[in-house]
Amino acid sequence: MTIQARTLSPLHLVSLSLFVVATFINCVPAQAAEPTAEERLFTLRVLPIFKTKCFGCHGQDPNDVRGDFNMLTRKGLLAGGESGESSLISGQPAESPLYQAVLWETYEMPPKENDRLTHDETEFIRKWIAAGAPWPDAETQLRIQKDEWSVPETADGVVVATSGGLADDWTYRRYRPSDIWAFQPVKKVNVDQLKTPDQHPVDFFIERKLIEASFQPAPQADPRTLIRRATFDLLGLPPKPEEIDAFLTAWETNPRQAWSELIDRLLDSPHYGERWAQHWLDVTRYADTGGYSNDYERSNMWRYRDYVIRAFNQDKPYNDFIIEQIAGDEILSRQNSGMPPSSSQRSSSELLIATGFLRLGPWDPAMVKNPEARQMYLDDVVNAVGQTFLSTTMRCFKCHDHKFDPLPTRDYYRMYAAFAGTQLAERPASFLPEENLEGFQQGRAHVERLLDFARAEKQKLLDKQEAAAREWYQEHNLPYQTPAKRKNLPDEMKPPRHVGLNHIEQGQLKVREQDEWIWNRRLERYEPMVQSVYNGPDPKWLNARKLRMPGKVDQNVELVSHILTGGSLEAPGEEVQPGVLSVLDLPVASEADDPYVIGSHLEGRRLALAEWIADPANPLTSRSIVNRIWQYHFGKPIAGNPNNFGVKGAKPTHPELLDWLATDFVANGWKFKRLHKLIMTSDTYLQASHHPKLETLRTSDPNNDLLAYFPTRRLTAEELRDAMLRVTGELNPTIGGLPVMPEINMEVALQPRMIQFSLAPAYQPSPTPEVRNRRSIYAYRVRGQADPFLEVFNQPNPNESCEIRDDASVSPQAFTLMNSDLMNDRAIAFALRLESEQESLDSQVERAFETAFGRTPKQTVRDRMVDYVQRMHQYHSATKPKETTYPTTITRSLVEEFSGQPFEYDEILPAFENYVADKKASDVSPTTRALADLCLMLFNTNEFIYVY
Amino acid sequence: MTGKQNICSRPLSSPATRRQFLYGLGASLGSVALTDLMAAETKPAAGPLAPKTPLQKPRAKNVIMLFMEGGPGHMDTFDPKPELTRLHKTESKRTRGLETGFKFFVGSPFKFRKAGDTGIEMCDQWKYLADPDVANELCNFRGCTAESLNHPEALFHMNTGSRLGGDPAVGSWVTYGLGTENQNLPGYVVMTELALPQGGSTNWSNGFLPAHFQGTRLRPVGSPILDLAPPAYKSRGHQRQFLDELAFLNQQHAEEHAGHRELAARMESYELAYRMQTEVPGVIDLDGETRQTHEMYGLDDPDTEAFGRQCLMARRLVEKGVRFVQIFSGGWDSHDYLERGHTARIKSVDKPMAALIKDLKARGMLDDTLVIWTGEFGRTPDNNKRGGVYSLGRGHNADAMTMLLAGGGVKPGVVGATDEIGAEAVECKHPIRDLHVTLLHLLGLDDNKLTYFHAGRFKQLSQFGGELIPELIA
Repeated sequence: MTIQARTLSPLHLVSLSLFVVATFINCVPAQAAEPTAEERLFTLRVLPIFKTKCFGCHGQDPNDVRGDFNMLTRKGLLAGGESGESSLISGQPAESPLYQAVLWETYEMPPKENDRLTHDETEFIRKWIAAGAPWPDAETQLRIQKDEWSVPETADGVVVATSGGLADDWTYRRYRPSDIWAFQPVKKVNVDQLKTPDQHPVDFFIERKLIEASFQPAPQADPRTLIRRATFDLLGLPPKPEEIDAFLTAWETNPRQAWSELIDRLLDSPHYGERWAQHWLDVTRYADTGGYSNDYERSNMWRYRDYVIRAFNQDKPYNDFIIEQIAGDEILSRQNSGMPPSSSQRSSSELLIATGFLRLGPWDPAMVKNPEARQMYLDDVVNAVGQTFLSTTMRCFKCHDHKFDPLPTRDYYRMYAAFAGTQLAERPASFLPEENLEGFQQGRAHVERLLDFARAEKQKLLDKQEAAAREWYQEHNLPYQTPAKRKNLPDEMKPPRHVGLNHIEQGQLKVREQDEWIWNRRLERYEPMVQSVYNGPDPKWLNARKLRMPGKVDQNVELVSHILTGGSLEAPGEEVQPGVLSVLDLPVASEADDPYVIGSHLEGRRLALAEWIADPANPLTSRSIVNRIWQYHFGKPIAGNPNNFGVKGAKPTHPELLDWLATDFVANGWKFKRLHKLIMTSDTYLQASHHPKLETLRTSDPNNDLLAYFPTRRLTAEELRDAMLRVTGELNPTIGGLPVMPEINMEVALQPRMIQFSLAPAYQPSPTPEVRNRRSIYAYRVRGQADPFLEVFNQPNPNESCEIRDDASVSPQAFTLMNSDLMNDRAIAFALRLESEQESLDSQVERAFETAFGRTPKQTVRDRMVDYVQRMHQYHSATKPKETTYPTTITRSLVEEFSGQPFEYDEILPAFENYVADKKASDVSPTTRALADLCLMLFNTNEFIYVY
Repeated sequence: MTGKQNICSRPLSSPATRRQFLYGLGASLGSVALTDLMAAETKPAAGPLAPKTPLQKPRAKNVIMLFMEGGPGHMDTFDPKPELTRLHKTESKRTRGLETGFKFFVGSPFKFRKAGDTGIEMCDQWKYLADPDVANELCNFRGCTAESLNHPEALFHMNTGSRLGGDPAVGSWVTYGLGTENQNLPGYVVMTELALPQGGSTNWSNGFLPAHFQGTRLRPVGSPILDLAPPAYKSRGHQRQFLDELAFLNQQHAEEHAGHRELAARMESYELAYRMQTEVPGVIDLDGETRQTHEMYGLDDPDTEAFGRQCLMARRLVEKGVRFVQIFSGGWDSHDYLERGHTARIKSVDKPMAALIKDLKARGMLDDTLVIWTGEFGRTPDNNKRGGVYSLGRGHNADAMTMLLAGGGVKPGVVGATDEIGAEAVECKHPIRDLHVTLLHLLGLDDNKLTYFHAGRFKQLSQFGGELIPELIA
């Protein structure tokens, strides 16, 4: 049995110990001799090490004892392994091979770096051998253990109450309280009593640590730097020169007010939602397709992307945001059934769109058996919910009790059970007035054209096949049978399969069939549907191509969930009820007896879970989100692993600040905009990115954990593209709507891409610049085909949640920024803009600096750049760039699996028939090309790509 | 105290281990911290791809991995099953695998014979590999088992150690552990057919390792690396002037932002790019190779030209100091018409592969270069009907497969066995992770020590550790 003890508070621990002691007195017979200190050392220190680190290979499996060395008994240790040498020389640790091995002096045991013993652990072994290596019998061991478990807190740490592990050793293991900080309640910090009256609360926490480390904060950044920092931070775009001028003027009069007004203006901009939605989509793994072998389009996913943008722009309280994404459909059922809604009545479409969150993981059940396909989905969604909202990597306790955190595998399967009835479906949901439906007509026409082509080509092949079939029947004097009718006839009664088609035509037929449903599927983009979920029994068959809700769902289905031992479907263990993480000591609302268990109704499991996550007292939730918000402002989080607050995650650099922010955020209605402003009005945020003692700080604080200066960051992939479009004047600021297709590297766009049985259709850019030059968040996101420009600048792979973006400088970035069509097109657009705005080369160069960098160049620099452009003018006068052409059809080649031979087929590219291309080098004069060289250079500079 | 820093305070056994750990740490902190930490070491400061000495004595320094996408049939290549020939077209009651309904056994359409001194078996379609000079170098491993029955998951598994996709590729781990010899070329190069394999670039992604360790794809047509060259109207001289002025602007900027070392690192990446622009076309230009070499690799025959070109390029890349080269060759997914399919596929790779092994050997490079030929899984001994007809092909089989290894400390001969119909591995049976552990071992790397802290734990290629396959090692 598992002793279900609760919480870390001293009071609870005392009552736990009384309970535990009482239990043990009853069940342990009195014994004559008290166990010795050495026996205790063995039982409590040494044996647990053996169990977790050694027995797995040395004894547990009698058929596979590594090196013939069985450690299960003292006798085994004395006998040693295949070398015949005893591993243990009683009283002489230094001579004992066992001790030498754990020091990694001779053998390196245990062999994995992950498992390697700490100094303390090897010391226990040393002392135990020195003391004669006593090995008390099982009964004595039990007695020692139970005595120990009854003490809530020892030098080793505290026992943490949970729903219980698979073994008592786990249930009663000890944690250092500082390691499990995240699972403890958020501490209330009364900052007003601590800080000076004028001090910003954030600065109080930051400066306190700086002072302890004997550093001063960096001086304030100059206002020009600040407006660029804030504008990129909140909008992901650079400030316009006129915005900079206005801000500098206002700053002259009243810096504080100017800053405050700037933040308000930026938070009111609809581009704010785009920028911050991108952060959320990084964590939640947004893509427009489902990944894996078919990479089917999830045609309505864009509505979820826009929901997130709207949520940020409307400042939707975070608790509502959580609940809608996990259980929007259940709120809707509740509203529809006339039950009292949990909050005010909400739009049904909005609620369904929000559950797109549950559909974001890569998933395709092709060639996978149903139960396994379901398990893949459930494991994914449970982990996604844990990482996203609770900063808890759920995968870590799927196969066993958590190795480091107080998270039993039972709780994993309780949460898993909360999703057991969650089924995937595209559901009808009418469009909302706030949704952007631009381009539906053109989009649909484009898809229909492609669909008609695929159908016609398929029909041609089928006609040929059936003509040959008729001929066969005639030759055999048999009546003609359609393919469907003849399918099950014996071989001699029907023509061979693919009669009349050679292997090339067989391959083509398969491609056309695939294309037909790809385009059919894409038509759903324009239908009032959403990628959502419903509750019900597992469907009989699963196919990611089409997932629909049955007309009638069996609500009385009984779902039975088990702990899956070792994560295996073949090894169901103890039955579990849907529930939540017990370690938080935060009950879930339900009628069940166990406070951490949700009732077993099919409906309402996720809503109960979501409400538990969004409970103001849930310490993981509030810490998780304020940590993320902080991270996106400063480029680094307070707790270093935003997806993992567990024992092995990085500890917060400023735990009290984190708790204070969490408390403040919840107390003030879970509002993001307020939190942004709070953080951004601190002196910490206003600091310069350099520090008088930078060299010293580099050594003593290499990660800038103290935040002694503002961390510099490189623009993200999307910011880089969007910033260039803004600078060239090409950016179309429309918000929301269908995925758009920017022009990507044409070699990649047209390169074949394998999907199951076929090739994916070519990437066709949107035909007009207005549509292509939308912000990057609207770009069609295909799991199997990244935009090479965004990818090279570290746009994360949408198969994994991205907690923090990489920004390593690698040479392919330089290739892209110097040589790609995309960049050269932007440079020409920028040059044309400059030419339209300024007459003389001098002022064009000045304007270029102002627009790109937000400052004018020094005169010497300007003169040098003017000279460069003039030299380039000379160069370009002698060049004649080739005209760019776009193909309207493309011939593709694929190796046919039947023949192993390549075959070809044609694909049409209607997007290029009336394509309005960007201005190319061949369209402009040598003068413009020369100026474009400078424009390209500015986009390549460090000044453009870094934010200070 | 962050989790990452905890790593450094652990007891560390040797300077090399320490360096490896610092490396993992530095790489995740950005170049600034890396340089600082490396400066304290005896080794001079260097970039993340600087060559590193492995902990153990390596048997191989480089890897060339030939990936047969689709899953070659083991019983139709290197693992003869006379029993299947006997059972041909009789009903199969096997329940494993995805095919349902009526199933029947499929005998291999090919005859088999022994080759070389080791007597390694191969079907008669392998004409060049059977040459004793080549066959004597080959190890045929029959004990490997996959886990997934569908292509992308199985490809991810073989290439990244995880069937979910998104973890670092084998080549990323190897360059992370060993760096690369030539800083003007990528350390990990991938060549594919025109079409990407299923799962695309996730198969050579750096995953959670820093971007320096990503596989760089050398494209078969067009620009070998995307945007490697400037537009045609811009000359190399034009680019040099561009870079000089860019350096000037960056220098001006750096003076105002003293101490920001990431700025210098980024400036250096432009100079490296400039050098790569000449180095890469040089490596892939095969004109300097003799006519005899061209013929040996099959460049004069349209059936072998594509793979031959890539194999020859692989040799040149390794020669130039590239650590890990991977070539994907598809079309092995013979669910039907297996005879036609496999005949054509074998023909396309047989001569080039044999040439590669001979060539490496002749140049004294085979001892240092591990060559691996594998698919993502094997094939079933049986099949079901298609369109009501006995279709002579095979399904996906995760319980048995076949692979070849050569050079780099590998022991020639046959290792492991499948059952008498090739349904599953029965001897020297090892999951993919053990193959990965062995591969790293041959390179002097220990899977358990080649770790990177991510998502709460030290991650490793094998996921949770694996076993060495000593039978494969000479």
